[in-house]
Amino acid sequence: MSVPDYMQCAEDHQTLLVLVRPVGAVSEENFFRIYRRICTVSHPGVRDSQRRALCIRYRHHYPPENNEWGDFQTHRKVVGLIAVADCCSAKDWPQALEKFHVQKEAYGATLYDSRLLVFGLRGELAEPPRPDVAFYPSYDDCATVEKRVEDFIESLFIVLESKRLDRATDKSGDKIPLLCVPFEKKDFVGLDTDSRHYKKRCQGRMRKHVGDLCLQAGMLQDSLVHYHMSVELLRSVNDFLWLGAALEGLCSASVIYHYPGGTSGKTGARRFQGSSLPAEAANRHRPGAQEVLIDPGALTTNGINPDTSAEIGRAKNCLSPEDIIDKYKEAISYYSKYKNAGVIELEACVKAVRVLAIQKRSMEASEFLQNAVYINLRQLSEEEKIQRYSILSELYELIGFHRKSAFFKRVAAMQCVAPSIAEPGWRACYKLLLETLPGYSLSLDPKDFNKGTHRGWAAVQMRLLHELVYASRRMGNPALSVRHLSFLLQTMLDFLSDQEKKDITQSLETYTSKCPGTMELITLPDGLTLPPVPFTKLPIVRHVELLGLPASLRPQKMKSLLGQSMSTKSPFIYSPIIAHNRGEERNKKIDFQWVQGDVCEVQLMVYNPMPFELRVENMGLLTSGVEFESLPAALSLPAESGLYPVTLVGVPQTTGMITVHGYHTTVFGVFSDCLLDHLPGIKTSGSTVEVIPALPRLQISTSLPRSAHSLQPSSGDEISTNVSVQLYNGETQQLIVKLENIGMEPLEKLEITSKILTTKEKLYGDFLSWNLEETLAQFPLQPGKVATFTINIKVKLDFSCQENLLQDLSDDGISVSGFPLSSPFRQVIRPRVESKPVNPPESSRAGDFSHVKTLEAILNFKYSGGPGHVEGYYRSLSLGLHVEVEPSVFFTRVSTLPATSTRQCHLLLDVFNSTEHELTISARSNEELILHAGECQRMAIQVDKFNFESFPVPPGEKRQFANAEQLEEERREARGLEINSKLGIRWRVPSLQRSGEASVEGLLNQLVLEHLQLAPLQWDVLVDGQLCDCEAAAACQVGDPVRLEVRLTNRSPRSVGPFALTVVPFQDHQNGVHNYDLHDTISFVGSSTFYLDAVKPLGQSACLGALLFLYAGDFFLHIRFHEDSRSKELPPSWFCLPSVHVRALEAQA
Amino acid sequence: MAVCIAVIAKENYPLYIRSTPTENELKFHYMVHTSLDVVDEKISAMGKALVDQRELYLGLLYPTEDYKVYGYVTNSKVKFVMVVDSSNTALRDNEIRSVSAGDWRTTPGWWMFRKLHNSYTDVMCNPFYNPGDRIQSRAFDNMVMSMMIQVC
Repeated sequence: MSVPDYMQCAEDHQTLLVLVRPVGAVSEENFFRIYRRICTVSHPGVRDSQRRALCIRYRHHYPPENNEWGDFQTHRKVVGLIAVADCCSAKDWPQALEKFHVQKEAYGATLYDSRLLVFGLRGELAEPPRPDVAFYPSYDDCATVEKRVEDFIESLFIVLESKRLDRATDKSGDKIPLLCVPFEKKDFVGLDTDSRHYKKRCQGRMRKHVGDLCLQAGMLQDSLVHYHMSVELLRSVNDFLWLGAALEGLCSASVIYHYPGGTSGKTGARRFQGSSLPAEAANRHRPGAQEVLIDPGALTTNGINPDTSAEIGRAKNCLSPEDIIDKYKEAISYYSKYKNAGVIELEACVKAVRVLAIQKRSMEASEFLQNAVYINLRQLSEEEKIQRYSILSELYELIGFHRKSAFFKRVAAMQCVAPSIAEPGWRACYKLLLETLPGYSLSLDPKDFNKGTHRGWAAVQMRLLHELVYASRRMGNPALSVRHLSFLLQTMLDFLSDQEKKDITQSLETYTSKCPGTMELITLPDGLTLPPVPFTKLPIVRHVELLGLPASLRPQKMKSLLGQSMSTKSPFIYSPIIAHNRGEERNKKIDFQWVQGDVCEVQLMVYNPMPFELRVENMGLLTSGVEFESLPAALSLPAESGLYPVTLVGVPQTTGMITVHGYHTTVFGVFSDCLLDHLPGIKTSGSTVEVIPALPRLQISTSLPRSAHSLQPSSGDEISTNVSVQLYNGETQQLIVKLENIGMEPLEKLEITSKILTTKEKLYGDFLSWNLEETLAQFPLQPGKVATFTINIKVKLDFSCQENLLQDLSDDGISVSGFPLSSPFRQVIRPRVESKPVNPPESSRAGDFSHVKTLEAILNFKYSGGPGHVEGYYRSLSLGLHVEVEPSVFFTRVSTLPATSTRQCHLLLDVFNSTEHELTISARSNEELILHAGECQRMAIQVDKFNFESFPVPPGEKRQFANAEQLEEERREARGLEINSKLGIRWRVPSLQRSGEASVEGLLNQLVLEHLQLAPLQWDVLVDGQLCDCEAAAACQVGDPVRLEVRLTNRSPRSVGPFALTVVPFQDHQNGVHNYDLHDTISFVGSSTFYLDAVKPLGQSACLGALLFLYAGDFFLHIRFHEDSRSKELPPSWFCLPSVHVRALEAQA
Repeated sequence: MAVCIAVIAKENYPLYIRSTPTENELKFHYMVHTSLDVVDEKISAMGKALVDQRELYLGLLYPTEDYKVYGYVTNSKVKFVMVVDSSNTALRDNEIRSVSAGDWRTTPGWWMFRKLHNSYTDVMCNPFYNPGDRIQSRAFDNMVMSMMIQVC
């Protein structure tokens, strides 16, 4: 006996073995249909009053050499044969019958009875019906098969019962035959059959045999008694093999008694189909199984007591659960003495393990199993090895040793594809390997590996995965091997050495070249599903950030009246609760928008953990919510790179809320969809963003060159384009801006604002000015169309060189401060040009003048159109303007000279040409003054005095919050502007064809202003009724009294006076000598002193007197205030009276 | 005398495993891995015993043809497994005698595991060691190596 039946269990000892065989050509399908139907008849009720249970074990295959051990243990004996034959026609019949007989002969020695089931014939044979043959027309029409089998089993039982009774009633005097196992036969040749020893041996063996028969016949108690007696007998003669068998029989019977549910674990229900025993109770101990040992006196030493009924009543000779194991151990130790009984020993071990598994005594079970491992059978075939390892694995599983079970299952799997096997069973190997996975606590779902570092038996698990890959490849399922290899790479990456990483990726690439890895679930035939393995570690993504559009394309919401950001849900401006909620929302939602049809970006920080360059292809975004056209990227990461930024782009095609779920890649030919939610240790700043309707796109190009110079970042706005221009101070330039709609939507709205960046320089006039109407007339601008737009740039910085310089010069003696009101320079002073070479110290200072100043401004184009405009969005584009202002001219000094008329004065300007070119300067475009490079000249301009009081006063409400200083500043500026517009000084550089204006606004100090101001008290002197204010002399005749009238008009807002005025006549000798001693020459008619009453605002007052010139001559009248009468608080310039020039002529006859 | 020494975490994954014939390391991985079945079984069997009275030394877990596997479990369920060459009889012989006498402390196995336990305690005391991580302490490594080289 060499073929072990690993499925055996203790309760198989009570079964009758029936072999079901096909005879002739019977298709497997049909045969097993019948076989299954036969198998349902496993516990036929025996029509017997004793209510004995009979168990049948059906086999469709049984090696005849095992049958030879039938005497040793009767359940190994084939007692019944059911043959299944297929006859298409009557002529097949004899052949079938013949084969049936052949089969019968093979097991003939042990068969009790046999049957032949013939399918396809309808009994049309001429032969007389035989009791052991049944005919059925077809496999579908054989309702009576079960009935027939039951009958057959009944006949088997009758034979069994008769045999049992026959053996049990053997007379003690009769010679008891010696039962023996096949290998013993030759040992007993020539032995003395009459010895006591031999007889005892025969008796013991026979008792054991009877016990077996009793057990099979359902007489459990009887069998126990017989086994006990047999044990005693055999122990005394040291017949160890049979003693072992007797002990095992005892154990089996006890097990059957204790565990009516069976020990095989799976067939409890099968055995007690008809019984009402609940399945869970099946494994429980049967109460009252007392282990009362048999009374030794009941055993007869020289024979078998024919009547066992007395013993049955005496005791329930059942073993206790602990004893069962002890007895099994003993039996196995006896078996182990015989090399030829290896199969028996092995089977006993297996049976014991099953019992122990039920008893939950895993440690002892493992010892039995360990022993079973070491049992050396003859050279096993590969198939048997596989079977052996599989069953070991199953048994370990049964006792809860999952790891050990997995170990043996893996060994079995490896055995399936052992090199000695001609046709390796890769499928079986793969299947077995899959079954080992739980034992190595390995799941094939990569999600289980997402939580932190992997903890497990990496070396062992990796080996298993490698084997899975190899097996699946050899199975011819490349998709499976790719999946397993991906899994290995993804989950075991931390444990792989650099060389292994290389090898694995190489083989992965070869596999995927035939069958690319997908994201689909792979379902195996046995129902196991392999979830997809996304390569989240190739590369590793650390940070994901959705990027807003660049500043020039970023959509902005037009401010509604309420304000967009204000939450209408709460009346509070700020509440910590709301703030908290917002914080939560912010996790998901981002405060910028994407625009339909515009390229959007998501930035990922990735790194490559591999020791070689990693090529990631087809990397794109996974999104939902909005139709999104992802534009995949391909990247190549250097070996073990640091964090590496990758930008994934795409275009949203519709509007709504878009959520970025993850990204997809193709690495080594494996497609992966990596979801952000499943990535460990990833930082993300939200993944949902709003996509708003499409907006137009504006591109700006200008007539000016682009500048590399960027504006200070503090400006806040991001500047898309920068242009720069170099201008001379005072110059004006046109900037032509070309607006091109490069988007897909019409441009409907455009607004332009400018912002001058804070500069230290004082800027006069409008820096930037434009007229938008013309441009807007071309709107809406269709896609691809261009509009132009002109901006005037006017730079007017301070033309004074430096404050302190000006100050110095004011104190200079050359300057005519004009303070002495009664200036002696009453002579006609023509505006004159005083050429003055630049002093050496001044030229050195000129270096300071030449330094270039910069002005920066931002032009902001807000535009909108298309569906986005309807939704209230716009875009803004900024143009940075960088102007370098080179100095043109400087006014190094300014002063005034009173003109002959009190209504006018001369403004003296020292003009310095700081350019390197010749320059002409003109005021009011009447005269041109040529200045060489670096030259300084004085120019004088006669100007009318200004009546500043008549300027519009700033509106009252403005005055309220403008403090005095600001107000004063404003007034000064207004005056400066007024003066400048009157002056109209322009410069021109002929060589460069450039021109501009020069402004004096910045250099008019208070003193100069006062001089330029028209006094509010207007004094008019009338000589002989003629206004005398010009250089022209009033003529009069000697001897005639000349009327002199001094009139005062008060234009100041308050009343002035009274004043006392004295008229002092003098003669100018034109040589610096004034002759005041004119008493003899001029006589006053009346008083020489006038009194003016107080004059109310806007009032007038006049006083009259007369002069009598006694001689002819040129006289001057100086009207002087009396010291005391002058109001101290009024500025002196208010009292500037014209001097009167009177020419007295000889009276003509 | 030991050929393989392993430290297994409470959750039954290896914290440390080292074997002397490095060419067939995987074999010892399998051996230690399967021995955990027995360890689990032994722990569950004595689970009801009071913690402080429990003997930490589990004794022989199972023999294989060439090796014997011994086990030890701390109160925090960290397991130490040692694989010893079967030809080395000193350990076993002493053990059988002592165990039957009921005094574990006289067995050399007990002392070896005790030493291992102390060294492991030192590793745990390292404030930079994160419990549950692989043990990479050089001191522990040296101690294990000394136990493997030791000739009896």
